[in-house]
Amino acid sequence: MSESSAIVSARGVVKRFGTLTALDGVTLDIEPGEFFGLLGPNGAGKSTFMSLISGLRSIDAGTLTVSGAGVAAGSAKARQALGLVPQHIALYADLSAETNLRIFGELYGLSGSRLKARVSQLLEAVQLADRRKDLVKEFSGGMQRRLNLAAALLHEPSLLLCDEPTVGVDPQSRNAIFDYLEELNRGGLTVIYSTHYMEEATRLCSRIGVIDHGKILAQGSIEELLAQLPFEEEIRFPSLPETAALAGELAGNGELATVDGVTRFRPRPGYALSTFYTLTERHGLPPRLFTSQRPTLEALFLQLTGRMLRE
Amino acid sequence: MNPILVLLRKDFSLLLKDRTSIMITFAVPFAMIYLFGLIFNVNSTDSGPSGIPFAVVNQSDNPAAAKLVEALRTEKTFKVITEVKVDAKTTRPLTEADLRPEMRADRYRFALVIPKDVIRNDAIGLHLKIYSNPRNDIEAQMVNGILQRTLFSNVPELLGQSLQARARSVIGDARVSRFNGSIASAIAREFGGDEAEIRSRIDDGNFGFDRLGAGSGTQSAPTAGVQDVLSRIVKIDTEQVAGKDVKSPAATLLVGGWAIQFLLFAVTASATALFREKEFGIFQRVLSAPVSRSDILWSKFLYGICLGLIQLITLFSAGAILYKIDIGGHLPLLAVVCVFAAAACTSFGMLIASISPTPESARGLSTFVIMLMSAIGGAWFPVSFMPEFIQHFSRLTLVYWSMEGFSQVLWAHATLAELMPTLGCLALTTGLVMGFSVWRFNKGRMFV
Repeated sequence: MSESSAIVSARGVVKRFGTLTALDGVTLDIEPGEFFGLLGPNGAGKSTFMSLISGLRSIDAGTLTVSGAGVAAGSAKARQALGLVPQHIALYADLSAETNLRIFGELYGLSGSRLKARVSQLLEAVQLADRRKDLVKEFSGGMQRRLNLAAALLHEPSLLLCDEPTVGVDPQSRNAIFDYLEELNRGGLTVIYSTHYMEEATRLCSRIGVIDHGKILAQGSIEELLAQLPFEEEIRFPSLPETAALAGELAGNGELATVDGVTRFRPRPGYALSTFYTLTERHGLPPRLFTSQRPTLEALFLQLTGRMLRE
Repeated sequence: MNPILVLLRKDFSLLLKDRTSIMITFAVPFAMIYLFGLIFNVNSTDSGPSGIPFAVVNQSDNPAAAKLVEALRTEKTFKVITEVKVDAKTTRPLTEADLRPEMRADRYRFALVIPKDVIRNDAIGLHLKIYSNPRNDIEAQMVNGILQRTLFSNVPELLGQSLQARARSVIGDARVSRFNGSIASAIAREFGGDEAEIRSRIDDGNFGFDRLGAGSGTQSAPTAGVQDVLSRIVKIDTEQVAGKDVKSPAATLLVGGWAIQFLLFAVTASATALFREKEFGIFQRVLSAPVSRSDILWSKFLYGICLGLIQLITLFSAGAILYKIDIGGHLPLLAVVCVFAAAACTSFGMLIASISPTPESARGLSTFVIMLMSAIGGAWFPVSFMPEFIQHFSRLTLVYWSMEGFSQVLWAHATLAELMPTLGCLALTTGLVMGFSVWRFNKGRMFV
């Protein structure tokens, strides 16, 4: 990717808080129109990276540009180009949905008929048009999340930063948010989406950066990332006394990890699955104990860090 | 364990972790009790106000008049002023002509003139003149009471001296001396006592008038009956220097004091709402827009000023309806003072928000400081009632300067030029406190 075309370009970005290095040499490019996922556990540095892109904090080392402009100086051009959906419901709970949108629209310089039109469009888009006069505090969590998203889109940004925007949302609202984000992305909006849910990243993102302890461990499309795994299938079975002997025999033939009472076996390249099933028959273990699945981002993260995303 | 005891222990555990509650429960009332104790001299025999500036112009060369001035000097209620500054290094004796402008400038609010004709020639008695600027009713009543007591405690002796002096000038020293000796001898013979001592007291003009119904002790307050007699002997001319046409000076202070106190609470609550906006992530959203931190702080500051202006004008208007405070003719200048006072109050709110780590601590700290400032700044009772060392701190509070501004406009009908020092103090306070607060906000974690 060429540096000049990237809407967000980070080169060796470092951010420290006292002795804690929150971001440690982050380098990545995000192209216009991408739906980029930033996947990592809590405390990995996702929100810090988002705050740097949005100009809320300054970087300690490296370079970071949005639409070609440095964000460290908090340039108006860079800020005008982006919309931020914070992790919190960043709305005035005692004001109506419409008033909230008007306030945030005016902060971006909208006024008059354009502001009025944008407020109406977005209330329609997030299915809150009929509740426009209601106070935000009277909304359900899902409705508040949808309005939280709408507030970031009033000024028609070219880059949308979504910092875990579905925390605590019911499945229906989550799907509504996903559908809307996908629609916006199809319309050309670049989205950077931070999450610790691999399902969200898998569904939404065309490209993903896996982050942990402030470092980008891997980045690419889902296919590219999963191709980094040294196995094509993962077999899971319960960790029981009767499966202990089987686990012992599998040890030399791939990776074995036990998490939450479930043993995961990732065969080494070239290991024939027929060998595995022969072994299970020999140990008299019924097939219902075993499930196999294609590798996931969870497995990739485990592979890269030795930890689960949830930890 | 009994569930009631478990829950009881839980509540105490939570209390011990909540420093704000502890402060409001214990520290704030303790500070108020201590302060009120000092103000009202609880457990002290030395009660009443002290150090109230009191100008005295003595135009008489009668030694009795000088003695009256000395008596006033020994009265701890008053800080007697007899000189006026010419420049930074030199002073000259105060004259009656100095009194009005000095009193209008509030350098002192009470003055006594002992005229040349303090000893009346046409009858036995004294003539005195009192100037006052009674912009604080409570203070004026108390000062008048103490002044009356001081005068009437000394008047009998002065009367005796005036009798002696007059007798010497009319019949000569020798005859007066012989007369005094005969009187002392007759008293000692008929009533007992040391003739020499009685003679000495009569020579000093002490005929024992001061003991008329007053019990023992020369400084004891005369009784009502004696006061009635004395008030007929002592002719006191009075002149009110300012506020003659003010209908309700007490209401001016009442409204001003309580309005400022609650304005402080209101703007501090508004400033500490910054914590809530931070917690909700609103700053994150707002600062990601083309909005700077200083935009947020200045908008808060302007909001505080507008809120303060509306609140103060509304409350003074209510005072006008309820207590006939005359604001109509002074509205522009009153609005100017309200703006400056509101700005100072808002800067205080910003300071509290900038130095407090949590909204709870901001609430505790602001409650404590607002009550303290209101108490010592004169919102609850006249500053002059407080011990002198506290009065120095009063002038460091924005409550004091705000109330000073209200009084100047509504009581003394001051001009804009006359208001400038007070407005300057409020503006300086605002500038310094806002400057520090902005610095603290930028160094702190409010916006990150």
